[in-house]
Amino acid sequence: MHFMKSNEGKYQVLLVKSYWFCDREGGSCHPLPHDKRILADRIEQLEGDKTAEIPVWEYAVQCGFVKNRSEYLNILHTIALYLAGVRLEEASKVDHPELILMVRMLDQIDSAINLLSERSVEWYRALNPEFSRKSEILQGRKLRDLMRDGSDDALREILDEIDQLAERRSSLAKKVSAKASEVLPNCSALSGGLVAARLAAEAGGIRDLALMPGSAIQVLGARNALFCHLSNASPPPKHGLVYQYRGVHGSRKERRGKVARVLAAKLAIAARIDYYRGEPDPIFIAKAQETILNARRSP
Amino acid sequence: MIWIADQLVSEGPGGVYGERIIQGYRLWSPRRSKLSALYHLGKGIELESHHRVLYLGAANGTTVSHVADYVEVVYAVEPAPRPMQDLMVVARRRKNIIPLMADARKPERYIPLVEHVDIIYQDVAQPDQAEILAANVRFLASGGVMVFMLKPRSIDVTSTPAEVAVSVQKSLSNRGIRTDECIWLSPYYPDHAALICRQD
Repeated sequence: MHFMKSNEGKYQVLLVKSYWFCDREGGSCHPLPHDKRILADRIEQLEGDKTAEIPVWEYAVQCGFVKNRSEYLNILHTIALYLAGVRLEEASKVDHPELILMVRMLDQIDSAINLLSERSVEWYRALNPEFSRKSEILQGRKLRDLMRDGSDDALREILDEIDQLAERRSSLAKKVSAKASEVLPNCSALSGGLVAARLAAEAGGIRDLALMPGSAIQVLGARNALFCHLSNASPPPKHGLVYQYRGVHGSRKERRGKVARVLAAKLAIAARIDYYRGEPDPIFIAKAQETILNARRSP
Repeated sequence: MIWIADQLVSEGPGGVYGERIIQGYRLWSPRRSKLSALYHLGKGIELESHHRVLYLGAANGTTVSHVADYVEVVYAVEPAPRPMQDLMVVARRRKNIIPLMADARKPERYIPLVEHVDIIYQDVAQPDQAEILAANVRFLASGGVMVFMLKPRSIDVTSTPAEVAVSVQKSLSNRGIRTDECIWLSPYYPDHAALICRQD
């Protein structure tokens, strides 16, 4: 609805009804040009307009926008495809799905390395019955180096592959960290890139993380413990993924819950800055880091 | 609708999702699509070539492609980017699919594009399914029908599916939507129901 000044200088209410293809006003009607961008802009504008009405295709013909229904549907199809493409692009710009996919790949490689390592230890045992992991508590690379002695060629090749995979894993971890500092600069500054990326992945996306309250972020990744607590009388989880942050698992046991809570609260704010502003806020980061540090220290 | 030896099929360009082709028609399997399951149970609304359909929860466009084979136009609403990529591929080959990347909870996002329709089909499996349907009733032309795929498991896991179905019908009727029929989709989809609804 528009208010227009009539010739006599009085204000009149003129009913202009806008559609994606034309403006109708009293008896007259103005069709829009067949231009993707102009039509797309018009549709975006109508979407924010609470008074927008369901379109009637006959108006498009009366108006001279199209000749018949099939032309109407054709143009609608083209413009809808175009808009969907634009929205897809926008979604990937703010949500950075690749970060989440990289994190999932990282976790998958981790579990693959663990599985393959377990298998090769079993294999090595069959070749060397006197071997026991009890005596030598070695892990990862050191364990594999030890096993190269006394393995046959087949097992040695597998061990080489696992080494390769472990290298890939650490280079991917660095890339995840770098990507997280780029798209989640504030969260990464507080908890480190890997933890920030894992939190976003667990939440389902950067937007979902930004919409979460701190209390939910604190127990993200502790789903089983949380639901166990909700349905039974078991104690609530103190921390989920945030446990991986040095300040949490490095604190004294009785203080971890407090550090996790404070960290999660600050991460919730950081995630919102990351999602809505997309750039680091040094003042916020410095203050938040101090608060988290105090939580570790204070009695 | 077209049946070949007790198999529901549709007529259109094939190879959308690797579906089988029988005598030149695309097999519309009741195991891949709840809507097909409904037709195989002898229920559901006959799709006709003049129908306009609003499809909420279009996902990858599997069922959408078959519906589009039968009707004049399908307005396909899907909010998630990943399935939308697939849906757009389907829509490029089928000119009567209008893809809309929007949340069915917020119909104001697609009001400017969607006209009045004869059928609203909803398959969203969300806890607030009933509210979503109610928000979209405005698109239904008078005399139109709504086909509502109910997944009780995503509404409440602590009550039985039958109890959930009753409470959903009640909440629909509070919103002015009358349920004419409730059809359980077993054996194709255990614990899923199709509600055939109309406006009061």
